[in-house]
Amino acid sequence: MRDRRRSLRLAATLTVSGLLLGTAGCGSGSGSARAGDPNTLEVWTRSDPESAKTYDRVFAAFTKKTGIKVDFQPVMNFDQQLQSRASVKDLPDVMINDTALMGSYQSQGLLKPITPASIAGHDEITAKSWASTVGLDGRHYGIPYSRQAMTLFVRKDWREKLGLPQPKTWQDTLALAKAFATRDPDGDGSKDTYGMVVPGSAQNGYVAWWGASYLWQGGVRILKKEGSGFRPAMDSAAAVRTVTWMKKNLFCGDKGVIQPSALTSVTANTTNFQDGNAGMYLTGPYNMSTFDEALGKGKYEVLPAPAGPAGNNDVLADGENIYFGARTGKAKQEQTLAAFLVSPEGQELAMTGDHQPVVRIPVNSTLDAAKVRHDPRWSVVQKAYETASVQFPNAPNFAPIKQDTADALNAIFTYCGSDVRSGLKELNDTLAGDLKDQDLLK
Amino acid sequence: MTATVTTPGPRRARIISKKAVLPWLFLAPALLLALVFKFLPMGKGVWLSFFDVRPFLGDKWVGLDNYTRVLTDHRFQDAIGHTLLLGVGMSLGGIVVGSALALLLEGQARSLKIIRTAVFLPVVTATAVVGEMWRLMYYPTSDGLINSGLGLFGLGPVPYLDNPDTALWATMAMGIWMLAPYNMVIILAGLAGVDRSLYEAAAMDGVSLWQRLRHITLPAIRPALGIVLTLAAIRGLRVFTEVYVLTGGGPAGSTDVWMTRAYTLGFTRNDIGGASAASVVLLCVTLLLTVTVNYLRKRGDVK
Repeated sequence: MRDRRRSLRLAATLTVSGLLLGTAGCGSGSGSARAGDPNTLEVWTRSDPESAKTYDRVFAAFTKKTGIKVDFQPVMNFDQQLQSRASVKDLPDVMINDTALMGSYQSQGLLKPITPASIAGHDEITAKSWASTVGLDGRHYGIPYSRQAMTLFVRKDWREKLGLPQPKTWQDTLALAKAFATRDPDGDGSKDTYGMVVPGSAQNGYVAWWGASYLWQGGVRILKKEGSGFRPAMDSAAAVRTVTWMKKNLFCGDKGVIQPSALTSVTANTTNFQDGNAGMYLTGPYNMSTFDEALGKGKYEVLPAPAGPAGNNDVLADGENIYFGARTGKAKQEQTLAAFLVSPEGQELAMTGDHQPVVRIPVNSTLDAAKVRHDPRWSVVQKAYETASVQFPNAPNFAPIKQDTADALNAIFTYCGSDVRSGLKELNDTLAGDLKDQDLLK
Repeated sequence: MTATVTTPGPRRARIISKKAVLPWLFLAPALLLALVFKFLPMGKGVWLSFFDVRPFLGDKWVGLDNYTRVLTDHRFQDAIGHTLLLGVGMSLGGIVVGSALALLLEGQARSLKIIRTAVFLPVVTATAVVGEMWRLMYYPTSDGLINSGLGLFGLGPVPYLDNPDTALWATMAMGIWMLAPYNMVIILAGLAGVDRSLYEAAAMDGVSLWQRLRHITLPAIRPALGIVLTLAAIRGLRVFTEVYVLTGGGPAGSTDVWMTRAYTLGFTRNDIGGASAASVVLLCVTLLLTVTVNYLRKRGDVK
């Protein structure tokens, strides 16, 4: 009798503990939606329902042309879902996701290597774009699909009302931000506007993503390539100078230069620009459709980023690659799909239509973003990408490096009294540890 | 002769075994579901915590490396403090506010039922929605609901979530707001069981309100409080969504709790082994805590 009660109690305890385990159990139990049909490709993209509609059009055209069917899955929490599919060793055939994740996927063995020559039309993609998909072992692990570079969005109507010029340097930007914050550009009689929008949270590495352009303009690199490895470079004099400037003038400067909730903001909940209470936003061009709708085309302008103390106006470039899942056994069909996606027809379909475009700057060099869209603002973005942009290094697993950089920057910007130099020194040591984990530290 | 003596033994044994099997038979479907959806993934989680997880390159056995890495990481160490503070604060706050609500809203009147329903709403609302709502309420300018209220008294605006000194407390306040009504319901059930004649007798003896609470109500709802305390402690330690939605662990990691760290490790840094180890540590701590609370409660009951 006592034994039974004890075993019941054990069962109850186990049940309770089962309820508690959160992420430890991830990965199991996710059903595979993969069709055994060799003529059907399972394709994943990181898309919300709006951009998924654009992909629907693209894949419909592909099926019509080639007869290969596409089982299309737009996935919002892409990496979480991908990890669970990886744990049952059954990946989607084709994935379209961020360029910066290539190193991470490759280090986990999730990707098939790609020979550029096997993709029809590979010569229409520039060498610069192809170079961004080379892995640590010198082989390609992705096919460029869409590229973008950050540009500065400015409230043109506000700027003209205050009689100020377009910002060309960091000093101009700061002066303009202060004017937007203090001189009531919206004319409602109260001080309720901010100079600049900043997604400054460390969550998902946002502050590193946003701040990278400022680092580049200050002549800073997060990692420096050395031989076959890398060395962290966040303790350089340029880094100390740049981060100090950002901290002093933006985060700990005059009130209203950036929006007050910057330190906990991610892009999704940073709507000050489209809500009409902030005057500038350094961000990606995909926001244009949102801003056109919320503010109207005439109210804002798209400008190249102002130059920093290093004299350049380099911005962060990123984009999306096409990846082939490891061990999927449909190489021919996958190559056919990739060839279609980078062809002028495939790229144009993805850049146009009534829904959010999924190709920003085309990787196909025969296309011109501004011409395809009949919108000269896109030539600013294309020019920034082609002439003044730097990507995060794609070969190493950059995910931990971006996250650690974001954690450190967020902390430095939060504590206004803290010492920038020691904060960056600590970050540099952490980054060295990350590189060492990947056997890349030189 | 011997046969007649021994027969009752086996027969009784058979009856007992049938009796013993029957409940398990009824439990089987539920246990099977629990096995597939809880225990197997859980077991796998524990198993993975000893590996460098790389499904396509072959998992690499690393022994206790993941555990050492997690336990020596200063961000996890900071997270322990935040988790405990948040857990204890939310549990106690939830019980105090929940009890107060229960005492205020006990009764049969129709208006009380409506108010009770209204008060219970936070519990049935998705945490993500509540988080977004509180983010708007905490908005650090006079546009935010709370700051506009403070503005009426000439105070503020206070950057609740963007100041590392207040962010954790602001998160705690939201947690209490969500937790208290749930506690209220359990305590209400406890209050319903209080013998009315004791109140009447106390009234005749002319005791004060405080004495009535202290010597009649509190002892009567002790079991309910025990349950509430256990649930709150478990919930407090594995707090995740509240923090993730409200602050994402920031600013400067000042609201990072154990589970947000584990999540970042698993899904931003793709270190599933480390995340599993962190989760297993949390599991052990929670188990220990649950058993201890249960033990103390039982000992108290015997007394």
